[in-house]
Amino acid sequence: MRTDLVGAVLLCLLGCTALPAAPPLPTEHLTVEQLGPAKPHWVYAVDEAFYNEIDSRVHLFDGDSYRRLGQIDTGFNPGVNLSPDGSTTVVATTYFSRGSHGARTDVVEFIDNTTLGLTGEIVLPPKHANTLLTNFNIAYGSDSRFLYVSYVTPASSFGVLDPVKKTVLGEIDTAGCVLVIPSGPNRVSSICESGRLLTVTLDADGHEASRAMSEPFFDPDTDPIFVQGVPTADGDLFLSFLGQVHEVDLSGAQPAFRKPWSIVSAADAREHWRPGGQTVAALNRRLGRLYVPMHRGGEGTHKDGGTEIWVFDTETHERVARWPLGAHKLDPVIAIQVSQDAAPIVFAATNKSDIAVFDALDGRLRHVEKRLGQTIWFFLNP
Amino acid sequence: MRSIDRLFEKSARSLAQRTSRRSVLAGLARLMMGAALLPLLPIDRSSRALAAASGDSTSGAAPKAPGKSAIDNPESCEYWKYCAIDGFLCSCCGGSSHSCPPGTAASPITWIGTCRNPSDGRDYIVSYNDCCGKASCGNCECNRNEREKPMYRLSRNNDVNWCMANADSNYHCSVSVILGVSEQ
Repeated sequence: MRTDLVGAVLLCLLGCTALPAAPPLPTEHLTVEQLGPAKPHWVYAVDEAFYNEIDSRVHLFDGDSYRRLGQIDTGFNPGVNLSPDGSTTVVATTYFSRGSHGARTDVVEFIDNTTLGLTGEIVLPPKHANTLLTNFNIAYGSDSRFLYVSYVTPASSFGVLDPVKKTVLGEIDTAGCVLVIPSGPNRVSSICESGRLLTVTLDADGHEASRAMSEPFFDPDTDPIFVQGVPTADGDLFLSFLGQVHEVDLSGAQPAFRKPWSIVSAADAREHWRPGGQTVAALNRRLGRLYVPMHRGGEGTHKDGGTEIWVFDTETHERVARWPLGAHKLDPVIAIQVSQDAAPIVFAATNKSDIAVFDALDGRLRHVEKRLGQTIWFFLNP
Repeated sequence: MRSIDRLFEKSARSLAQRTSRRSVLAGLARLMMGAALLPLLPIDRSSRALAAASGDSTSGAAPKAPGKSAIDNPESCEYWKYCAIDGFLCSCCGGSSHSCPPGTAASPITWIGTCRNPSDGRDYIVSYNDCCGKASCGNCECNRNEREKPMYRLSRNNDVNWCMANADSNYHCSVSVILGVSEQ
């Protein structure tokens, strides 16, 4: 008993002498962070939250500091996009009045990207397309006069909104063609079951002025295109399941289709290489570099993640690099994005929602952010 | 430092004096007996087996030939009727391969697939209905895409929420219902 007492006194003395004689910490003031201007290496990582879909969200992530900067809540089965000037995030989504059930409200929400605060909303008819993320679920016209939202009930149409007055201007039936691919200030194209594009031109009030159907530009039976198209300098680029690149020039009154080219050589095809995932390509428009997650597989593997990232020059159509992901012990990559600056970085989301950050020029792995979210399937850039 | 050494030495001796060898042996024996009994207890390991069976379908790895038991097991992602299903298996959520869990509502609209039953060699047309009105089940995620098409071919697409036309349009889980034999 006496020994225990001596030990306790000794320990206390040791502890007391170890205490620093520094002054107390100053008082703190609770504040709310402001983001300031967007930086080119920021990325909006959209988390579908598949295991609790009513709670999807966007994580704003900094590809230089590897810090999470903030969050935007996006409801159930959202469509998400940025305004042409990057100042606003728009979200077309669904909320239920009692959380997981109850009355359905479809709404477009506007978020100020300097504060991540909600600045307004437009209530929609309960028709917004409940589907996976693409660039074309919700999209602005080039001058931001109109905002378009894809509707599926399952009849397909789209809503035309005024993002300034926060009103719905009208609804345009697209008769079996889906999504809203904007071009110019007042044109919207939709992808049709027949492999064509339907293009609707709007008048000054946002009502239909004319429509035209293109010739087929892909075969939906033998080699369908992914709907996750990538914006190019004058339109959009679509990959097919077998690796054909369909570039669509949307700068004119009607779409013009360039001659398709392939990212899969005969030797690659013999080894069964294919693109796949939830977001299947990213393009740095300044450098003309196309980044594609690739895997080996057959029919029905079009949503499998890539075990390698292949890099292509969109001018020469040559493959300029292969980045094997196994070397970094990364799981298959199912979503990809690249920044648009002169020193670009690539963001690659694995099927475990780890985010790998690569130097886009030499493929050097800079960082792996473990489990940024639950199911990160889509990225947007400022 | 010497005084600290002495302190720890005395603490160790004190512990040794308070604890008999017999009590240590008895504790070890209890631990070993418990470990030996564990496999005999009625623990349901089917979910672990299912996770292993369904792993390839969500991992993006090259598909492996599933075992016969998985092909015949409605709680496995490899079950033959699930060849283009994308979501949570209702058979792991209180329903079955062709019934919705209690308290949910079946979607009246659906997407259609054709799956081969290896047991009789026939191709069956199946409808993949969603069960609706509750939050995501979250159990037995399964993503298979044989002959699945993108959204512009809506009746062959498994990316859209087929609860979209229900009064409560929240998505809970998915089933696969035989509509008939494919005549092709």
